Amino acid sequence: MAERPAPSPALTQARDRQRELTDAYYQELARTDSGRKPVAYMLVGGNLAEIVRSFGYELVFPEIVALNCAIKHASLPNILNAEAQGYGLDVCGYVKNDLGLQELGGLTPFGKIPPPDLLVCSFSGCYVYVKWWEALAERYGVPLFMLDVPYLREPTPRKEEIAYVTAQLEELIALLERTTGRSFDRAELVRTLGASRRAEEGWVDYLHAGRQRPSPIEAYFEAVFYMFPINVLRGTPEAAEFYALVNEEVAARVREGQYPVPEEKFRVVVEGVPPYPSYRTFWDFFRRWGAVSVAATYPKVGGLFDQGFLHDPSRPLESIAEYSVGAYVNEAWPLRRELIASYVRDYAADAVVIHGIKSCRSFTAGQGDLRDWLLHERGIPTLYLESDHEDPRYFAPAQIKNRMDAFFESLKPASPAAGGTP
Amino acid sequence: MGGLLSLGNLPEPAATPSVELSEDLGEFARAATIEEMVRLGREVLSDPTYPTARALARAGRGVVGCFPVYTPQEIAHAMGLVPVALHGGGENLEINHADAALGSFLCSISKSTLELGLTGGLEAFRAVVFPYICDVSRNLEGIFPRLVPGRETFMLHLPQNFHTPAALPFLVHEYSRLAERFRAAGGSPLTEEALASSIELFDLQRAGIRRLLSAKQGERPSLSLSESYVLRRLGGLVPRELHVAMLERAASELEHRARPARDAIKVLLVGPFCEQPTLELLDLLEQVGCEVVDDDLLQAHRWYPSVPPGGSALERLARAYVDSRMDIGVRATPTTKGEAILSRLDATGAKGVVFLTAKFCEPALEDVVLYRQALDRRKVPYLHLEFEERSTAYEQARLQLETFVESIMFD
Repeated sequence: MAERPAPSPALTQARDRQRELTDAYYQELARTDSGRKPVAYMLVGGNLAEIVRSFGYELVFPEIVALNCAIKHASLPNILNAEAQGYGLDVCGYVKNDLGLQELGGLTPFGKIPPPDLLVCSFSGCYVYVKWWEALAERYGVPLFMLDVPYLREPTPRKEEIAYVTAQLEELIALLERTTGRSFDRAELVRTLGASRRAEEGWVDYLHAGRQRPSPIEAYFEAVFYMFPINVLRGTPEAAEFYALVNEEVAARVREGQYPVPEEKFRVVVEGVPPYPSYRTFWDFFRRWGAVSVAATYPKVGGLFDQGFLHDPSRPLESIAEYSVGAYVNEAWPLRRELIASYVRDYAADAVVIHGIKSCRSFTAGQGDLRDWLLHERGIPTLYLESDHEDPRYFAPAQIKNRMDAFFESLKPASPAAGGTP
Repeated sequence: MGGLLSLGNLPEPAATPSVELSEDLGEFARAATIEEMVRLGREVLSDPTYPTARALARAGRGVVGCFPVYTPQEIAHAMGLVPVALHGGGENLEINHADAALGSFLCSISKSTLELGLTGGLEAFRAVVFPYICDVSRNLEGIFPRLVPGRETFMLHLPQNFHTPAALPFLVHEYSRLAERFRAAGGSPLTEEALASSIELFDLQRAGIRRLLSAKQGERPSLSLSESYVLRRLGGLVPRELHVAMLERAASELEHRARPARDAIKVLLVGPFCEQPTLELLDLLEQVGCEVVDDDLLQAHRWYPSVPPGGSALERLARAYVDSRMDIGVRATPTTKGEAILSRLDATGAKGVVFLTAKFCEPALEDVVLYRQALDRRKVPYLHLEFEERSTAYEQARLQLETFVESIMFD
């Protein structure tokens, strides 16, 4: 059998660069632990990276630390430690990973996570954020800033909602001035938001590539890797440059006919957080059926940039407020389900796969109704699966595989794209 | 519509009404003693189909449901509507359909509320308000209009940042949005005079409930926990004018009411701020030797002692909410969880804490850890029990509670 040629560098440059950026970030965090820079903890949804970083803080996103622990099979000891502290089986896996990790000294396979000097809670779409940050504040006795972000119940935020968030951002800036002794540099924020905007536009271009047939991107499993810079490094030149590199790679894939799924048979939209402890296994369950995700909701948890919630340097605080309000899980169910249906339409998908998370009520409560709505009101084949994003004890591979096999088998006759068996 | 509603040939009632009340709810006006009020209240609570709401609807009153924990019910009242506290279906409602729409690992109250809606049990309600107390309540509102059509729904975003002056105008705007929904549900236009008058009435109710609570805190409490609870619970089920009159009768009786002396341990009851435990479980707490001197039950009536003066009526209501120092699982704590639980202990003289949390209630489960850490530091004993609406077997709970009480009593 002929040896498969190594992929050209143009086809691996994005993943390679993403690894470099991730490694560099965690190495910097480990150095920060020695006290060179103050550390702010922040949540991904509707985060305020540009403002807080402009005051010299290094940023830690415990949700991202948690998913990295899970994907490296290192979440269970942290979860068990949190359970030993009293956090029950039904508490969010991200919370338990973090609070267990804190108790264990912040040691991860990718470096030491420093404790916080400041806690910025962007309460955007998940009530557990409030409880989680309260627990951290109680543990470390450091300032906690609660950014209350109104839940989005209409397609466009109201001016009163934006005014409310903007006023709080100004108060956060005043707090940062007090804690750091630095003055707020508005021009610097404007420059940073310009870099954010370039990264966001590049990210949106990448996501839109899923509209092509065959899809040159994997909008769920692959996008999860590529969402790291848009959430963690947004506002830095490296983030903007990264997405330029990603889109070069996507163009090279098309040029060379190299697609994430070599023979695309099913195009799916995926809703929900991945089962990180069994990430590769779950991905393989799609690949063996020639199923590629062409759009997904999870990569939008940091912000719905593809729906126009982009940072605007000409309206710095207002656009940050709009972005925070417009994070995916901060949207009411009627908006969420219409968005998913629009992805099915715009990305010419055959089906929707919903992955429910046992310990995440924000994402999951109501997904049964979503399935029902997609099936019966939109006529879209929909599969519902359930496990957990952090806790490996809840991933039942045989059961999930059986359900997926049955679903794709039944989908086959109805889909013009389908054919053959795995 | 296909889907969920076609699965079980709905609507088949999940529960059959067992209590029918007169349209003027005269039964409550005629209940002269605490014993009679509590007996009537227990009957009403045994029927998951909201008998008071059904009677009010038959009389042509516009009933609006208020999911826990807090809704400014004064606004509904001022618009000529009757706010009714919607606390799920209780122990006598079977869940057959709601799991499919909501999910498995969720609290009973969310499922039973949806089950009632899916099976025609909320026909009396013209509107339902879901405050953003947790992600489940929030998402429940999102799916409600499709599954339970024919009534207004509103997800009320109550602020979580109590340090910003901007919370007040934001909340006034939220309350205005709520009033718009009540108007769509048939409410009268909201006027300044009507709202001021409703605030006065609700302040009277709050004062009456404070009197009930103080009756639990003396050396010789003159009310049992379940009596106190049922009297308070009726405050969310009958028109407030009626309840204020009941509270006045109860207050008169309490002046000379005595219960037999008990050898009991004073405890705080923490956790059941949303989903409600069964009356049997509340009775059990005192049967085993706990004297519950303060609790988290039905906090909507005690969010603030009274609405402060100054500004428009809507602003006053909003300020009352924002300025409240209440520590509860569903809003950011004004201090720390540790300080909050210890100051409650100091204020009440409780010797221990019973945590009674609804299964799958994440806000309560996360708070309990921080409370426990503070109690451990001060060496205060506590016991944590979980419950569900349809709990029926209490033998294990009885054993745990008895052991807990004995461990304090013979320490």
